[in-house]
Amino acid sequence: MRGSTRRGAVVAAAVGLTLVLAACGGDDDGGDDSGSGGDGGSSEGPTGSVSINSTQPENPLIPTTTNEVGGGNIVDAMWTGLVSYDSATGEPGLAVAESIEPNEDFTQFTITIKDGWTFHDGSPVTAQSFVDAWNFGAYGPNAQLNQYFFGPDGANIAGYDAVAGQTDDTGAFVEGSATAETMSGLEVVDESTFTVTLGSPNSLFETIIGYSAFYPMPESFFTDQAAFIEHPVGNGPFEFVEEVPNTSINLTAFADYAGDPKPQVENIEYRVYADLDAAYADVVANQLDILDKIPPVGLAGDVWKTDLEGRSASEPLTTRFTSMTFPLTNTEAWADPNLRKAISLAIDREAVIAAAYGPGNYVPANSWVPPGNDGYVEGTCGEWCEFDATKAQELYAQTAGVQGTLLISSNSDGGHREWVEAACTSIRETLGIDCQGDYDPDFGSFRARVNANEITNPFRTGWVADYPSIQNFLAPLYTSNGSANDGGYSNPQFDELIRQAAGLEGQEALDLYNQAESLLSEDMAIIPLWYDNGQRGWSTNVNEPQFTWKGYVDPLSISVQN
Amino acid sequence: MSRRRGGGHAAAVPRSLAGDAWRDLRRSPLFVGSAAIILVLVAMAAVPGLFTNADPRACDLAYSRQPPSGDAWFGYDLQGCDMYARTIYGARASILVGVLTTVVIAVVGSVVGMFAGYHGGRVDALLSRFTDMFFAVPMLLGAIIVLATFPSTIDTPSWQTIGKVVLALGVLGWTTVARLMRSTVIQVKQSDYVQAARGLGAGSRRVLLRHVLPNAVAPVVVYSTIILGVFVVLEATLSFLGIGLQAPVISWGIAISDARAYIRQSPHMLLFPGAFLSVTVLAFIMLGDAVRDAFDPRLR
Repeated sequence: MRGSTRRGAVVAAAVGLTLVLAACGGDDDGGDDSGSGGDGGSSEGPTGSVSINSTQPENPLIPTTTNEVGGGNIVDAMWTGLVSYDSATGEPGLAVAESIEPNEDFTQFTITIKDGWTFHDGSPVTAQSFVDAWNFGAYGPNAQLNQYFFGPDGANIAGYDAVAGQTDDTGAFVEGSATAETMSGLEVVDESTFTVTLGSPNSLFETIIGYSAFYPMPESFFTDQAAFIEHPVGNGPFEFVEEVPNTSINLTAFADYAGDPKPQVENIEYRVYADLDAAYADVVANQLDILDKIPPVGLAGDVWKTDLEGRSASEPLTTRFTSMTFPLTNTEAWADPNLRKAISLAIDREAVIAAAYGPGNYVPANSWVPPGNDGYVEGTCGEWCEFDATKAQELYAQTAGVQGTLLISSNSDGGHREWVEAACTSIRETLGIDCQGDYDPDFGSFRARVNANEITNPFRTGWVADYPSIQNFLAPLYTSNGSANDGGYSNPQFDELIRQAAGLEGQEALDLYNQAESLLSEDMAIIPLWYDNGQRGWSTNVNEPQFTWKGYVDPLSISVQN
Repeated sequence: MSRRRGGGHAAAVPRSLAGDAWRDLRRSPLFVGSAAIILVLVAMAAVPGLFTNADPRACDLAYSRQPPSGDAWFGYDLQGCDMYARTIYGARASILVGVLTTVVIAVVGSVVGMFAGYHGGRVDALLSRFTDMFFAVPMLLGAIIVLATFPSTIDTPSWQTIGKVVLALGVLGWTTVARLMRSTVIQVKQSDYVQAARGLGAGSRRVLLRHVLPNAVAPVVVYSTIILGVFVVLEATLSFLGIGLQAPVISWGIAISDARAYIRQSPHMLLFPGAFLSVTVLAFIMLGDAVRDAFDPRLR
């Protein structure tokens, strides 16, 4: 009896200890800590922590070299530029800039900045902060991905060529070809004023400089870039706390933010998801606060409407465009325009959308510009974007055809597998050729392959406009030197029309852009697929957030429910 | 209480363990049932055309995710492919992986175990430690590492992809067979007929092949039939993870992986390949059970 009592006591102690330890090991996921940051939910300061889905940024969080969505959303939360775009409409408005005065022919702008703006490390935002940052971005040896925004495809600042230098055929910078470190068109007048002289008239200048490439940079960036990459410093509403690679990037509200509106939430975790299906499951279970794109698993059968009842929304996006691009510089396989047209005719866009996303959830594209943008003309693609099996087969018979299996490359972490498979099924059934998807596990590695010009088969290209203008859907993507021209399409007539349009305003400019767009349908080097609709959801922990004109959540609109 | 067999008449043919086992198996409903199922599955794998006229690769997006109906008994998958055809054709890759992997581990494991058990001493110590090294690695983890080291691309012919999966599973699966064989061989080594053979001057090879192996093989056979089902499931797991067989190869694992996102909306996409997988594994396990019962001398 004594023995069993002792043994019983030992067992009871062990069980009790286990229970205590289990209770002490609290939850460590940052998902639903709403309200935990703030006491009593005062309206004085930002409160609470939220999580938002993200992809791992491809590059360091430096504005002049961030050109993809994962990094772009975080950069946009950490910086504020001279001009910002209205969250709902995309209309540009002054932010850090006090005023931007153009001269009569849009070749020179005098920019004055407001007082009181500081970086997260306390140093002031001055005219020099902008000028130094823009020169850094344009300087050839720095190899910044957004360099082209300072040149003829973007703002076209005078003196860009000397600073940018030359690139060889592969796009690599030629050593020693940059003859200056600063652009002659940038001149600091005093601490809060600087002038910008352009190489050619550009009426869209004030719109363009709202893009993240034009954000200011603190002096600490220029003195120690390596330290900056470890801990980036901006001037925006949220400052950097820490990054756990491939897991999350954490930001916190910047107490001395000089802009309006002020942040309402205290901590933001951009949580990296390799698979949107997991993100969808999390947002349904309230483990993830904001999901800005509902993947096919939620769209199929419209289950998202019941799963996320009262905490979801859907709206057409004027800024998103999905297409398929043929590589033209690293292979001759796609040189025949009839082959490209045949493939475009063979894709039944409605059926692909119905299978991959659910009927009606995306809109088949028949133009290279989404509806809702100034200058949108319906049907510029014409017959080539309408599914026609007979015509596709006839046209295909006139070409040399596809050697072996037709591959379509894409990343698999954004809900893209389904449509690539469906598009392949459509092509296979129509043309009788073998078709297969070729996937990179994440967006960053896929873009790395695209940027290195390694892909020799058609691949997915998705564009989110940098600023709300038809020019942004055409110039960076399809001009010969456009930095987002992934396939290497080159049409001198197209380039000329775009160049002329940049010097005009209003309807005159739009007409020229439309003419340029029509040229694209003759070549079909880039096949329009569909316009994305934005379906998004959020948890019960947050109030309904505002989604920007780009379709991403506006961090300033997020607030936790009390 | 043992059954009397053969009554009073003298047996004309010498009776062996295998002979007795076969007679028992023939009468066991467990064996007959599972053997029948396996024969059907093997026929499915070898000649899928017998079971269906439909082409598993003829897909029409208009039928995407349609449920079972008179035209398509198992419904359609996301791409509008006939699920019935895909399930039938998928048997080949799945069963092939299972069978080949089992053969590989049976052969490799038997050889290693036999030498370790028979020779003893230093050879045994060496081979046993060698086996232990492989034993320590979890099979799925090892398979993932092997397949990640030798990735397949679109151009890899399907037999190569299947071969890689077989290798990935086989390279770690042989250890149990080796141990099993070793312990059985150690037992058999002691028996009279082996001693007699050696006494008569038979060399190691003859003793091994003629006396030891036939008597030691029974546990390995039993284990193999059971583990075959496990390998079929593991192939499905690897395909589900995306590292095993890839499209355009058709297998149950790939079908299950594709169906994963639509379990709520279209359960038929998961149900049928999953059911076939379960039935296959069940059949092999039942077979292994029946064979084990038949071969176990203690049950006589």
